[in-house]
Amino acid sequence: MKNESEIRQHLREWIAHKSGSLSPNEIADDTPIIERRIIKSLQIPDLILFVEEHTGRAIDVEQLKPGVFRNIDTIYRNFFKPVRTDGS
Amino acid sequence: MALDLANLHGIYWKENGQTALAGMPLAILRKLDRLFVRWADECGAAEYRFPVFIEARELHKLDYFSSFPHLATFPVTLDSSPEHLKEFSREAGIDDAGVVRLGKCSPVREVLTPAACYHFYVLFQGASLESSLYLTTVATCFRREAYYRPLERQWNFTMREIVCIGTAEEVKEFLASHRARLERFFSKIDLPIAWQNATDPFFDPSRNPKFIAQKLDPVKTEIVFGGELAIGSINFHRNFFGETFGIRREGEAAFSGCVAFGVERWLFALLSRFGPDNLRVLESLW
Repeated sequence: MKNESEIRQHLREWIAHKSGSLSPNEIADDTPIIERRIIKSLQIPDLILFVEEHTGRAIDVEQLKPGVFRNIDTIYRNFFKPVRTDGS
Repeated sequence: MALDLANLHGIYWKENGQTALAGMPLAILRKLDRLFVRWADECGAAEYRFPVFIEARELHKLDYFSSFPHLATFPVTLDSSPEHLKEFSREAGIDDAGVVRLGKCSPVREVLTPAACYHFYVLFQGASLESSLYLTTVATCFRREAYYRPLERQWNFTMREIVCIGTAEEVKEFLASHRARLERFFSKIDLPIAWQNATDPFFDPSRNPKFIAQKLDPVKTEIVFGGELAIGSINFHRNFFGETFGIRREGEAAFSGCVAFGVERWLFALLSRFGPDNLRVLESLW
């Protein structure tokens, strides 16, 4: 299982590769990837698939809320961050 | 207050989704458009007037026909061969349902304008902008719908748009200032509206990545009257049109945004809210 910084870096590299023009170090954790069209709308299904493959959980597109794919930070927090189960 | 359009002088509804206007409703419609032009003037917007048709090949660049096939309306002409024209003129007829027997038609290369601002991105195709552009136009727009209602949902309707093409920051500032202006206006005339995130009316939306993109990163905010009628919208297109049409600003694909007003819907909202008599008084405030 990858740690948080490895997951963020993996996302960064995938997004840079898909952008076709940016290198990973040009994409910060808060860079808005859809708003700036670094990821085009036609690539969003690929992004969803990428997240599904790496979390092992299916994403219900109907239930997606605005902002969850805004940047690397929101993607990590909404899909990868471990859910605390100790009640705290 | 329920609006009784059937008994309102100056509004003549046609069942095919169109309205003829005269008298007071027409005067208010014109006054509304002058109000929108004043707002456009304040940001220095240059006014343009475009033809009714837009080239299908330009709309195709926007994936218009895969995203909105259900809305498109095409101008059609008869095949121009003398034989066909002779045959048509001899046998021209309309069936009981009002359908014209066209026979052979010429190739269709045009579309009746579905949104006023598209013309700008086509016009400025390939341009490198030294400063942001502020533009306005009004168009009769055509959208085939599943049903029609007078003033509220028409096959053709009047759309006034104010457009900015520039950097992301220039466009966001433009949209924010227009939203603030609209909020002040609605407050001044006491018209209750709600601002709601919305998506464009895509065909088969759940299968369209553009619809999913708009859900994830809302770019359209509608001005909603009476809980369901969008009388206008504020739209941030990101750099979609800049990239599609090669419009550049500061070395990158330009961003764009527009403020759109559905003029007949504004007329409906004002008539519903204030009634025809009070509206005469109210319009002195504009």
